[in-house]
Amino acid sequence: MTVSTREPPAAKTRSLVASVDDLRIHFDTKAGVLHAVDGVSFDIFDGEILGLVGETGCGKSVTARSFLRLIPTPPGNYAGGRIDFWTKEARHSGGAPIDLLTVSDSEMRSMRGNRIAMIFQDPGKALNPALSIREQVVEVFYQHRSEELLDGWSGGAPRAIRRAASQRSGKFEWLAFKVPPLRSHSRRLNRRIDEMVGDALAETQIANPRKVMASYPHELSGGMKQRVMIAQALACNPDLLIADEPTTALDVTIQARIMELIRELQQSHQTSVLYISHDLSLVRRISDRIAVMYAGRIAEIGQTQEIFHDPRHPYTRGLLAAIPSLAHKRGELAAIEGTVPELIDPPSSCRFSTRCSFATEICGQLDPALDARPGIHAVACHAYTSPQELGVRPDQLPRLDRTVL
Amino acid sequence: MQIREYIIRRLLILPLIVVGTSIIVFTIGRVGGNPIAIYLEHEMTQEEVAELEDRYGLNESLPVQYIAWAGGVLRGDLGYSGVAAAPVIEVMPRRIGATLELAVASAIIAVALGIALGTFAGARRNRLPDHVTRIFAVSGAATPTFWFAIVLLIIFWVNLGWFPIGRSDAVIFASISHPTGIYTLDAVLAGSFTALRDAVWHLALPALTLGYGSTAIITRMMRSSLAEELNEDYVDAARAKGLPERLVLRRHARRNALIPTVTVIGLGFGFLLQGTVVVEIIFIWPGMGRWMADAVLRGDQATIMAYVLFTSILFLVVNLVVDIVYAYLDRRVVLGA
Amino acid sequence: MVDTEHRQRSPFFTSRALAIRARRFGEVARDVLRNPTTTLGLVIIVTLIGLALLAPILTEPNVPDAYQMPRDWGALNLPPGSPDHLLGTTSTGGDVLYGVLWGARTSLQMSVIVVGITMVVGTMMGSIAGFIGGKVDEIIMRFVDVLLAIPELIFALAIAAVLGPSFANIIFALTVVFWVKYARIIRGQIIHVKNNEYVDSARVIGDSQFNIYLKDVLPNSVTPVIVQATLDMGNIVLVGATLSFIGLAEAGLAEWGVLVSEGQAGISAGRWWASTIPGAMVFLWALAFNLFGDGLRDVLDPRTEGR
Repeated sequence: MTVSTREPPAAKTRSLVASVDDLRIHFDTKAGVLHAVDGVSFDIFDGEILGLVGETGCGKSVTARSFLRLIPTPPGNYAGGRIDFWTKEARHSGGAPIDLLTVSDSEMRSMRGNRIAMIFQDPGKALNPALSIREQVVEVFYQHRSEELLDGWSGGAPRAIRRAASQRSGKFEWLAFKVPPLRSHSRRLNRRIDEMVGDALAETQIANPRKVMASYPHELSGGMKQRVMIAQALACNPDLLIADEPTTALDVTIQARIMELIRELQQSHQTSVLYISHDLSLVRRISDRIAVMYAGRIAEIGQTQEIFHDPRHPYTRGLLAAIPSLAHKRGELAAIEGTVPELIDPPSSCRFSTRCSFATEICGQLDPALDARPGIHAVACHAYTSPQELGVRPDQLPRLDRTVL
Repeated sequence: MQIREYIIRRLLILPLIVVGTSIIVFTIGRVGGNPIAIYLEHEMTQEEVAELEDRYGLNESLPVQYIAWAGGVLRGDLGYSGVAAAPVIEVMPRRIGATLELAVASAIIAVALGIALGTFAGARRNRLPDHVTRIFAVSGAATPTFWFAIVLLIIFWVNLGWFPIGRSDAVIFASISHPTGIYTLDAVLAGSFTALRDAVWHLALPALTLGYGSTAIITRMMRSSLAEELNEDYVDAARAKGLPERLVLRRHARRNALIPTVTVIGLGFGFLLQGTVVVEIIFIWPGMGRWMADAVLRGDQATIMAYVLFTSILFLVVNLVVDIVYAYLDRRVVLGA
Repeated sequence: MVDTEHRQRSPFFTSRALAIRARRFGEVARDVLRNPTTTLGLVIIVTLIGLALLAPILTEPNVPDAYQMPRDWGALNLPPGSPDHLLGTTSTGGDVLYGVLWGARTSLQMSVIVVGITMVVGTMMGSIAGFIGGKVDEIIMRFVDVLLAIPELIFALAIAAVLGPSFANIIFALTVVFWVKYARIIRGQIIHVKNNEYVDSARVIGDSQFNIYLKDVLPNSVTPVIVQATLDMGNIVLVGATLSFIGLAEAGLAEWGVLVSEGQAGISAGRWWASTIPGAMVFLWALAFNLFGDGLRDVLDPRTEGR
């Protein structure tokens, strides 16, 4: 049983963009109820890049998708917790957040691609193969910036054009756009679309946006496709960008460039980024803070340098030890023994205890809480709790030695 | 440019297949059957029969006979139909018009209904509408057209009296001219609402019957395609852009699901063609199928050969069109990603 | 469509191989029965075959020819539920129940004979094409393409039509039309094996090819052939009944299609049973074999398209 010990966020120098509080997401499977995300809490601050790291199956993707409520609800369900989200306006005016999990469907749709955007792991699969780049990118404009599409008309655009700009055209209206008088209007709209889409693509350092716009996904390289995805995601200047393993499917050489691009754009757009990855060393290069996730829970969270210089959770230490590096002595690669526990009937013990070399009896009985107060380097491990809090003797707590990193 | 090569190659193969089919049927007919059976009358003497055999070249070798027949076809001479008591080539146009009207109407129904039902079911996977649709789809392909036609006839014509039999009301039919041979078109061209109504009213039940099996095939394919597409990342990505669900379904998932479904349309058309004979018999529709049915009973080989040619050409052309459309749609396949 | 996971290189007939096969059969049977629609299909199949086999016991066979519908001029056009005639009678006094049962027998004969012959012919042709290869293969495959290009019913119709109306001609026509898919399957297997195991020595070819055939090709073709045969059992009756409906069988034959055709005339007078009931039997037969065949296919080769 976890006890959340969070204080209300301090109204200090940095404001919160999002705050996840005890998020629980369950899936109904044939074998039982899968607790994919089981009590996750963390904050995302204005203008930061937070890395969310964990191995496959730890629940990081599910956590990310729940920001946009993309979890299919059978078989999944949002079993508890909240995700508080502050838009730019809310932050400036000191207004209240909205809970992304309970907000109405239409409000959620107006936020998707607009206030919160997402880029996916395999851009080849995340782009519709049957549509050209232009046709796909313009959708975010149709959806969220249609007034700007209608900018070019001094007296106001004809109603049919206005409908087209917000994707509300009638079934055969496109025929009407082929004949004058609507034809010139439709051409003007198309030029405006070309402009806006071209600008969006150019932002991600795509050399010839016009050519890319007219292409189909399969005609582009992996790196190019990912740039398109990023352009699309940032087109409406979102407050939060969720990047679900954006470079995993790319070549190593392209990876660095895309990450560089994300960092630059994050600066220029002043967006916060939630960067999901299974690769700790990769995330290190880009994140301000890192949250390590294990078996549906956050194991450790803190500033990037702190995590690397002072890894506290035994799992984090294991991850770091497993990274091959020239500094290591020659010999075997250190792997963490054991496998991730079944999430169907999660035990009440510490999830990592079966693989932990420091586990004691208390670890097998009680799940440690994460002290997720903002600004501190938090760990969910009994080794960092005081014995009085748990009502045990000091020697009953696990003791971590300084393992070689 | 690969598409063009593809089309040319298919167009070249087409006549070969038609020739092959005609050879097979022709040979079986000459060898196993009696080609002049329909011309024989009871009281003929041995000599008269022998004379007939000679006239129709039955004493020549098989290849010679085939070439004679094929040559005739290319010249426009398809023989004399005993059933219709007229040269085949004279009777065909009218008959083809009637069958085409029926086939096209059924095809339109099958494609439109099939895609709609498949989309409906695929989007509601494993819920009740999906299960019902799937039962329909599976049973549709196993339903004997002749039985289905009779059942529908009993319900809608005998008992409810909602629909008529035959192609038209004789009086209304005679009141307009028939330039195209396709009743519905002719009615539109003549601007006659009564005729149009008459045409559609008579067309409805046979077209529904004929289209049933094909609808089932297309529904089935569309449903599974759509269900697969809905699992793809780009669907989630589209939702993540804030698109309303109906647009996600229509513009993203369905468009991609249509591609494999197109391949089934050719198959469905084959199904449809096969059903025309039976449907035309039962609904008394004056098309190629009905003519063929009579020819079959009376051994009118000239008509049978003409029918085989007609259907195989039609079937092959439709499949070719479908394959070209598919190649065009699935750019990944043709252009080679 | 090659099931590479289960490639078996063991000789066909050792006891160990047979034991493995028996166990595998048990597994397959269990998986098949797990699906309710497939099981339903199987149940209907068993029922229909049972009815066919029991026809002489359940009804009094007609003399002199049991396969001709009996005529009872004293019991014309009786509706279902009449005494002695559970499903009614036709316009010539034939008992519809008799027609249903003996029609099942006819259908069973039709499908078994056609499937039997086509499997053999198809396997032979496919083997010839596959083994000899080259020109012979080309010719045979072009031939196959032609045959596949024509819709089955139309082709069978044309053949039966030019031969003249008779049940035997229907069977012949169906055989000509339905052998093709088996040839494709076998040939495909042979080509696949050939690509994997190329035997060089001319002397050894005569012997090992046959062994290869026994050890590799046959065992792995069994699955798709069985699935195809099951589906064909259903479709052959469907096409066959349609042919006899159109009039290509002898008049008065105890066959479902013929019954529907003869019962047609009574529709406008409200006599639905003589045509609807036999027609429903054709539907049931085709449906059952299709359901079961699809289920078999899902189990034996889960990579094919479907749900």
